[in-house]
Amino acid sequence: MPEPVSTTIGICWLGYSALHGYARGGSAVSTEAAAVREAASKVVEFAERSQVLFGEKSVAISQLWTLANDCDEQGWDGYDASAINQAALFTAEQFLRALPHDIPIPEFAAEPDGSISLDWIVSRNRLFSLSVGANNRLAYAWLDGADRGHAVARFDGNNVPARVLEGIKEIGVYGNASLRAA
Amino acid sequence: MEMLPSGLPNLIDSEEDLARFLTQGGHYNAQMAKPAAFLPSLKDHETSVSRHGFEPLERLWIIGRDATNGRNLHGVAVFKARTVGTAQLEAVADEPPHRHAAIRGWPWLDDPELQKAQQKERAIVLAVASKLLLRGN
Repeated sequence: MPEPVSTTIGICWLGYSALHGYARGGSAVSTEAAAVREAASKVVEFAERSQVLFGEKSVAISQLWTLANDCDEQGWDGYDASAINQAALFTAEQFLRALPHDIPIPEFAAEPDGSISLDWIVSRNRLFSLSVGANNRLAYAWLDGADRGHAVARFDGNNVPARVLEGIKEIGVYGNASLRAA
Repeated sequence: MEMLPSGLPNLIDSEEDLARFLTQGGHYNAQMAKPAAFLPSLKDHETSVSRHGFEPLERLWIIGRDATNGRNLHGVAVFKARTVGTAQLEAVADEPPHRHAAIRGWPWLDDPELQKAQQKERAIVLAVASKLLLRGN
């Protein structure tokens, strides 16, 4: 009997995660290791083009690149903004890949210093705004009713910092996959 | 009271409207202008605004076109000057051009990420207090 589609996708996803690890490189230097890495890279590249596996994340990464293209020159805002920083773009993409699947995809905005803002906006009184800049330290601020604050967290490239995830969840977006359409 | 070339008083009243023009689709959504739209320029450490409310609309868009150097003007976020104080910032008349004002007092620290985090918190205050008007609406 054929397996349910969701199970098949789940197995594919686990396989993909392992491949992504290979594709990102490692310390192995043998010819075989290089061949495996190259093959894994091709599979990853193919998979990321697949809406079936990546859905919203794939669309979001495209939107990130479109944003970077739109803001690739000084003064893109009509004032004095810097062009989007390439390192910020790369880190924002890594962050999106690392974002757990039950956390909604954020909205994106360019910032005047060339950073990229990732925003989870539930309402006027509940939002979480994170800034991805040229290094791995993420600046963020939030508003949750009458409570607001700010902090900085370090992103290791693979895992969204726990404090950031908690902050996003606390404003009430956890599990609300339709946030962007709101 | 000292008057400026525009005819406006030098001191900005807390009930005055301030307009931040939006030239990027990413700087607003269906609900509101986003915090990124209010962050200060790296060049002068301030956010440019115009001392104007929604009316008369025709003049607002003319000011916006001039203020944004002919960029594609998507809309405007308008907020009361008192909001700037709530965000622990300061609105200062800064002509020319006519009606131009600057939001100053943004945190500027040795730690750029902490600086950005503090700036974002203030920008959130401005964003949530703003009323959004998109061009063509």
